[in-house]
Amino acid sequence: MRRLILILLFLQIALILTGCFDRKELEEQAYVISIGVDKTERDNIFRFTFEIANPEVGSSVSNVSTKEPAQEVVSVLGTDFLSATSTANTSVAKEITLDQVRVVIFSEKLARSKEFIHVIQSAPSTVDLKLNAQMVISKEKAEDFIRHNKPRLESRPHKYFQYMLDRARETGVIPDAPLVRFFQITEGDADLFIAPFASTAREPTDKYGAEDNYKAGEIDINGGNPTQFIGSAVFKEGQMIDTLTGEETRYTLMLDTTLPQQDILATYKDPLRPDFEISAKVQIDKAKVSIDYKKRGRSVIDVHVNAHLNVFAIPSTEDYMLDPRKRRILYASIEKQMYNKTTEMVKKSQEKYKAEPFYWSLHIRKEFLTIKDYEKADWSNKIFPNADVHLHIDVKSIEFGKTLRQSNIGKVRD
Amino acid sequence: MQLTKKPLRIREMVVIVFMVIGLKGGDTTPALFADHAQNAIWLVPVVSFLCLLPPFLILMYLLKKHEKYNLVELIFHLLGKKLGTVLSLLLFIGGFVSMSVDMRNVMEELNYLYFPESPTIMIYAIFLGICIIIANKGLETIGSLTWALIPIIILTILAVMTVDLRDAVWQRIFPILGDGPKTILVDGISKSSAFLEIFLLTIAYQAFHQTKDFRIGIYTGGILSCILIVTFYAIYAMVFDYNTINNIAFLYQESTEIVSLGHFFTNISTFFMIGWLFSTFLRFIIFLYILCWIFGAIFEIKRFEGLILPVGIVSMILSLIPPSFSINELVIRETSLQIITPLFLIFPFLLWGTDRWKNRGKT
Repeated sequence: MRRLILILLFLQIALILTGCFDRKELEEQAYVISIGVDKTERDNIFRFTFEIANPEVGSSVSNVSTKEPAQEVVSVLGTDFLSATSTANTSVAKEITLDQVRVVIFSEKLARSKEFIHVIQSAPSTVDLKLNAQMVISKEKAEDFIRHNKPRLESRPHKYFQYMLDRARETGVIPDAPLVRFFQITEGDADLFIAPFASTAREPTDKYGAEDNYKAGEIDINGGNPTQFIGSAVFKEGQMIDTLTGEETRYTLMLDTTLPQQDILATYKDPLRPDFEISAKVQIDKAKVSIDYKKRGRSVIDVHVNAHLNVFAIPSTEDYMLDPRKRRILYASIEKQMYNKTTEMVKKSQEKYKAEPFYWSLHIRKEFLTIKDYEKADWSNKIFPNADVHLHIDVKSIEFGKTLRQSNIGKVRD
Repeated sequence: MQLTKKPLRIREMVVIVFMVIGLKGGDTTPALFADHAQNAIWLVPVVSFLCLLPPFLILMYLLKKHEKYNLVELIFHLLGKKLGTVLSLLLFIGGFVSMSVDMRNVMEELNYLYFPESPTIMIYAIFLGICIIIANKGLETIGSLTWALIPIIILTILAVMTVDLRDAVWQRIFPILGDGPKTILVDGISKSSAFLEIFLLTIAYQAFHQTKDFRIGIYTGGILSCILIVTFYAIYAMVFDYNTINNIAFLYQESTEIVSLGHFFTNISTFFMIGWLFSTFLRFIIFLYILCWIFGAIFEIKRFEGLILPVGIVSMILSLIPPSFSINELVIRETSLQIITPLFLIFPFLLWGTDRWKNRGKT
């Protein structure tokens, strides 16, 4: 009798254990990798494009059934992320899940409109959508961007975006822009936010603008995937106002203390033979920003940037390695070049944008005791545009890589 | 309950206090504080603790003086039967309301973030069921269980801190006073009963091997909890900025969601759920047990374990009344805390006064 009761009790446990309302079968999930959002003719109705990855393609486990395409692209109308997801489910059999979204792409047209802030407001309250997904602004419609984007070597779309953004970030031509940063900066209402700018439409300009003086779509590449990630979109108060080239983005990142600095690749003018360029790997230490706040009059902003260069190509074959005089010229010249470019960027933000994308408002905060005082002092409208910015750029070291001296071309030509 | 062996020692007390008070760093309490204080959120608990310290020290002094009583017995001894019952009942109600409101918050958190499809009532029932079953086992089991699970919880806490610090920008702590010194003081004092459990825990004064164990335990646990809460709140302020922090309801979970560790571990937030869930279970088990103990002591019910089930169920039913989470947190919790706070701040002084009054002839 007692045993019977025990068995019955154990059977009841089975009831509890199976009662998982939130059971999710992997088979039944459609994982969205990227979402594109476009403006439509009607206000506050947007076109959402979901790029759904096919987990069977490209994995080493699958063997036979890889005839299916690597991804499926569905686009629907909707007012926010969640409602669009359910609309999209009318054509996709599996349940659409936003857990794995790595990139959210907004078209430039939408980003420049006033509606942008409304659609992005629905992101934090969407449970599935993680706020560490990257925000990307596409030059053309986001739907076209996703459809045209055909990576040849990376058949698995989630890897493609990850690698692509990482490479571009390594060269410093696009910023790191998770969605959460957008909210922090926009709600802080003191700085400009910059997001990566990308395009699949090639409109190459004739100019050769060093390796980074381009915006997305302008680079003259033959073959490969048409997608280009370079430059950034500038947002003021939740609305896009301008675009920066890759080079400007790099100098902006150099001055920002919150973004992790990676080694970036850059070219500089050869000081002794100006028609040649020197390319180098640049490592930039975290900038030091100190602000001398004056209640009346102009505040003074001092910015110290230290750079370490690793030169690996001197096409002009000037002997910078062993000649101390020439080396001094090189140091001075690189410092000057960096200084000029950075000053240009600061000037542009002071005069054109009247706000800065460097997140410097962080450094003036300690001057104030309360948020009220801080907001009243008005960093973005009063302090920054009138401040004197002193840049101190210091090239601490230059290494010359694995060769000891450049080969003497004059002798070779003989 | 008659504890004959009294096997609990310092370490169990430390972890019990830590579990009940310290883990308020990870629930919805920070959202309550951030609502007004913004990025000075970490200063509010400091004010609260400073404000709670004098009444608490007086209570501890009285308990030490009258060696053989616990909280309720002490109140009865000093205030007499009638007044004592009223005061103890008020304390019980304060604790009960605060538990019900907290429980609803945690349930919503669990439901919204981890089990969105399940009905709230179902999660609630399972959660409460587990709490009741374990609370029934008695203080010894609870103490050892807490001690046994503490490594997992500490590991989670450390992991969350390291992960969050990767995304923290320390300058965001400025302007240091947030919304202003007045807000911090008012908020800190009026909501100090968010940590009222520390008073209620004194019901267990007699349950330890020596009363000295209890004292050392509650002080150590209290200090550790204070450090943990302040650090966590400061980290939240550094991860989110001042305008974002008061829009977010579940700071603990959200802060782990926005960071990713390299390529492979992009969605790491679920790893931190396990430790959080354990700590939440333990917290409510202890809270429920303590409350029933107080209730039992007031009405001289020796086997108060029988009360756990009805008290738990009533608390669940009451907590389901508020229509939504945000009303529960920002309206009901805030108002109830403001009402409860004066009671908890004043009653030790009242006891102290009567103690002096009673002793006036003797000295």
